[in-house]
Amino acid sequence: MDPSEVEFLAEKEVVKIIPNFSLDKIYLIGGDLGPFNPGLPVDVPVWLALNLKQRQKCRILPPEWMDVDKLEDVREMERKEESFTPPPSPYYMELTKLLLNHASDNIPKADEIRTLVKDIWDTRIAKLRLSADSFISQQEAHAKLDNLTLMEINTTRSFLLDSLNCMFKLRSNMQPGSGTGKALDY
Amino acid sequence: MDSQSYLPVPPGVGMEENFLSLDDILLSHERLPSRTECLFPRLGYLEKTSDSQDIMEGTKMELPLWLAKGLYERKRRVVSVELPKVYREGWRTVFSADPTVVDLHKMGPYYYGLGSQMLHFDSPENPEIAQALLQTFIGRFRRTMDSSQNAYNEDTSALVDRLDCLERVLFRMGQSGLNSFQGWEKGRASHLTTSALVLNYRKRKMADLQA
Repeated sequence: MDPSEVEFLAEKEVVKIIPNFSLDKIYLIGGDLGPFNPGLPVDVPVWLALNLKQRQKCRILPPEWMDVDKLEDVREMERKEESFTPPPSPYYMELTKLLLNHASDNIPKADEIRTLVKDIWDTRIAKLRLSADSFISQQEAHAKLDNLTLMEINTTRSFLLDSLNCMFKLRSNMQPGSGTGKALDY
Repeated sequence: MDSQSYLPVPPGVGMEENFLSLDDILLSHERLPSRTECLFPRLGYLEKTSDSQDIMEGTKMELPLWLAKGLYERKRRVVSVELPKVYREGWRTVFSADPTVVDLHKMGPYYYGLGSQMLHFDSPENPEIAQALLQTFIGRFRRTMDSSQNAYNEDTSALVDRLDCLERVLFRMGQSGLNSFQGWEKGRASHLTTSALVLNYRKRKMADLQA
């Protein structure tokens, strides 16, 4: 999967915006949006929020977790815990990037948030690598991927799957008779 | 980014080869030290070291893997195949001590593939060989993973240098994951690029079509 596809999925997440125009309810396949009234906050998906923002028709309210204090707590938790802690949002990396790139004027302390999220990401990726290594070295057969986000899984997916495939084949070598039946057909 | 316009067939790795895999075709040309166990009449011209018309019983020669595999039979002993050095006891101890220091590209470059193929020739050491292959892979996994996921935008030839062909494929997978993520983070993913398929496609000349 390409990271841009993961980003596309993240654009379905809902954020609050404050529009500066008025419009009746709009009816879409994914659900009804609106009605839009100037000054009244309304829930819309990220893709619409960004589109309206780019046309300067709204102000985006940052999601609750996108807050310096809360993210600092998450970072501390993440560093303390051995296993993965629940991420601030299942699409935290993608949303941070989208919102900060297009609407950084609506988000207080945008730079600090960017650094914090990057810190959290790095800690989690390091953990992911560590657990992948112990997964391989103990020759485990299954793993739980609790609390991992799609983007995180996506970065190591192809590498890990291919390695596991190789390991499986090398391991099946050890069972005599698994491949010999066919090999005699020459 | 570095996607190809065709899907290369991956090597079979285990005891079965993949017929269409380029790596496995190259692997089948690896030479194995072997010894003939019976007389090969009138094939002496293949063996340049002696002048006799036949290949004598007990002649030592190097056979490519595909030939050795074809000639080897459990019941009627035609040839016997010796283990290459890297799979013998001595090297196995080295691998079990620290698999990461060994230059597998020099020893192989198809260490895992050839090792699995060696299991066709019923040697009493087979279980140990299979075990050693697996342990070597596991031991080197961490290094392959770390180096492939940390080297962004730098010269990777030094990292790849000592990797077996199988590990190189994995390394490239890790790199493509890293590169696509970094490209996305830097905002490069939002630019539209030409597909590799179109890029590699050359217009056919009129002459080719008519011929």
